[in-house]
Amino acid sequence: MTAACQTVGVRDRLLQAVLWDTRQYQPWPTPTILFVRSPASITAGSDPTTRVRLGRGLLITATVLAAIAAATAAVAALETAGGIDDASPVYLIAVVVVGVAFGARPALLTAFGAFLAYDVLFTDPRFSLTVDDPRVWLDLLLFLFVAVVVGRLVAVQHRRAEEAEQRSREANSLFALSRMLVTATSTEDAVPGIARRLASDGQLDRVWISVGPVGRERVVADTGGDAPIPSAAVVATLARRPGDEPAQWIRTHEPREAVTGRPRSGGSVESLRVRIEADGEVLGSLSATRDRALGMPTREETRVLALAADQIALSLRRDQVTRIATDLEVSRQGDALKTALIDSVSHDLRTPLASIRATAGGLADPDVEWADQKRREAAAVIDAEAARLDRLVRGILDLGRIDSGALHPDLEPHDLASLVEPVVDRLRPILGDRDLRLDLDDVSDPVVVDAMLFDVVLTNLLENAANHASEPAPLWISASAGPDGRVRLVVEDGGPGVPPVELARLFQRFHRVARPGQGARRGLGIGLSVVKGLTEAMGGAVSAGPSRLGGLAVTIELERASEPPEAEA
Amino acid sequence: MTAAPRSPRGGPWLLLVEDDAATRDAVANNLEAHGYRVDRAGDGAEAFRRLDAARPDLVLLDLGLPDLDGSAVVRRVRRAGTTPIRILSARADERDKVATLEAGADDYVTKPFGMDELRARIGALLRRTGGPSRDQEGIVRLAAIELDPVRRSVTVAGRPLELTPREYELLKVIVANPGRLLTKGRLLRAVWGTAYSGEAHYLHVYVSRLRRKLERADPTGATHGLINAEPGIGYRVADAGGEY
Repeated sequence: MTAACQTVGVRDRLLQAVLWDTRQYQPWPTPTILFVRSPASITAGSDPTTRVRLGRGLLITATVLAAIAAATAAVAALETAGGIDDASPVYLIAVVVVGVAFGARPALLTAFGAFLAYDVLFTDPRFSLTVDDPRVWLDLLLFLFVAVVVGRLVAVQHRRAEEAEQRSREANSLFALSRMLVTATSTEDAVPGIARRLASDGQLDRVWISVGPVGRERVVADTGGDAPIPSAAVVATLARRPGDEPAQWIRTHEPREAVTGRPRSGGSVESLRVRIEADGEVLGSLSATRDRALGMPTREETRVLALAADQIALSLRRDQVTRIATDLEVSRQGDALKTALIDSVSHDLRTPLASIRATAGGLADPDVEWADQKRREAAAVIDAEAARLDRLVRGILDLGRIDSGALHPDLEPHDLASLVEPVVDRLRPILGDRDLRLDLDDVSDPVVVDAMLFDVVLTNLLENAANHASEPAPLWISASAGPDGRVRLVVEDGGPGVPPVELARLFQRFHRVARPGQGARRGLGIGLSVVKGLTEAMGGAVSAGPSRLGGLAVTIELERASEPPEAEA
Repeated sequence: MTAAPRSPRGGPWLLLVEDDAATRDAVANNLEAHGYRVDRAGDGAEAFRRLDAARPDLVLLDLGLPDLDGSAVVRRVRRAGTTPIRILSARADERDKVATLEAGADDYVTKPFGMDELRARIGALLRRTGGPSRDQEGIVRLAAIELDPVRRSVTVAGRPLELTPREYELLKVIVANPGRLLTKGRLLRAVWGTAYSGEAHYLHVYVSRLRRKLERADPTGATHGLINAEPGIGYRVADAGGEY
């Protein structure tokens, strides 16, 4: 044992020296390397797996002895009671059994054991290794030869079968992992399934996967449920080489700060970690704990873990690329919107400006004689056009606030009627003479809104209705409480309505519904997009559909508050 | 235009603090044409000099002065007395607007405003008697409402009105401030105290409920339009004449 330890120690120190150099280039918390293990070449060791190996040796010895003893008993029974002269081939059964169970070397041992047992127990002179008859000698030697060959053949065959099975398991695992990653919409959706699969295939107690740059990692999948992530003072990290062979588990001391404050995994548990990296960049890590009695992962298990990490790395890269593409698309669309804005602004803002300048220029002209009546009319034109400009600018400012995220809604419970009625009263002049109904009695609970934003939302909706459903088209405002704890406020008109294909784009900014025979479109096409932006900022939702009045119905969904306590201090 | 002639008549005296010269002159000229005397200040420092020299009847204060925070001017005016202050504010100044109202300004008007609207609001502020009408027994009257603070009872058009304690406290603040703009903060402090209780966020709901009770109880319709929401700011109380 001591000698074995020393041997391992020397080898580890050599590898340590080799790895020391590469370690400096790894963007990983600096660990202290303890020693290195290759999963398939572990023979004797200084770690608890040695105990397992000893146990296995004892088991093999016991089986070999038992097999020989059982075969001996059978041979004795056959030769004495059954009257068979030479029952030695029965020993071949023992050789085959041991060969299948433990491989070539134990089979060889069994063959020799059987040879000795038969020699000692069943050939004359009995209970001695010597043999009188040279023909029996030949028989014995032939038996030994056959036994050795059979043992080897059986063992080789068995190992091949096992390897084939392992390969197929490995292939199945890898196939399952790839499928999960390919079919999921994002890597983070796929990793919980991968973690579960790895845990069951690799005899791992717990598997967790974290992504993100070193130091800011975030666990995205964990088979351990809500239990805190364990940490170990010593973690076996898989060192990868080009070509993936030989991959080696390197035991390292974790930096102290990573260990303190977290539950420690016990001494009977091996902590494993495989880095998830692509193009030399660390994207995350795949970690696992495993019962130490099971030993280090086999070559195949190691390969599955390594390939899983690679697949996840590729998938994360794919996500990054998709994200970049999406960002590019968004900014491209942003540019298109800006162009549309400039187009709209140049037309819709310049029209009132033009009439203001023309009228004001006329008033300022010393050569023009103005009758009092005419001068007042001119001033009224300037005032009306300025008011129109004010509305347009207000819309653009609202849009800007929505875009910049500068909206901080002051959400408070409000009585719905007390919010709606003042807006309707204020807008009555532009709504004109029509069937205007207000039905808010179904909702007694308060709604949670920002009163100022709600005012803008409803004002825009009513102005929109006034513009597109001109009087005497009816206009109904109704509210109902949904079973989902939300209040639906519907503003509907009896105007021409919106074709179904246009409904989806109704809330897009700068979208104006084109109508046959209506050349000049009115407005900037931002009123309803402001409605959408502000409603969503208040945690609500907006949708549009056909109205029972024949025109457009816009539904605003709002959060409902509970009624305040009636009994007071 | 800066040397515009002072109105010879001794009308109400206003101090207009506005940094944009064009707006300042246009507003001042219009007000002078309607019989007001207007002092003009282009920044906070000049406003302070004018305030040291004389006390105007009303201050019109633009938010977003180049040199000073609007609330500083408000505090300076409040130290000297109860001179009404009206804020002129652009939409972008909403936060400032509330802060200035909380600091003691009386009302605001949002830019761009019509001159008719501004004059009507100035008139309402100047007309305000400065307090509610009380008789010898301390009973406060507004519109058709009579509130007896001693018995904690309320009648509307002569008929008793049942109110919960919170509604009563709310109404007490409202009838005591005819023609004024009450910010949310002020109402909360008056009704729920400085350490707001859990119910305080239902302020708007309590106000709506109180308004509905008043209107139901009042056959004359005199209480209709008494309490008016100013979204984001608070509530405006109509004055005795039902206007503001």
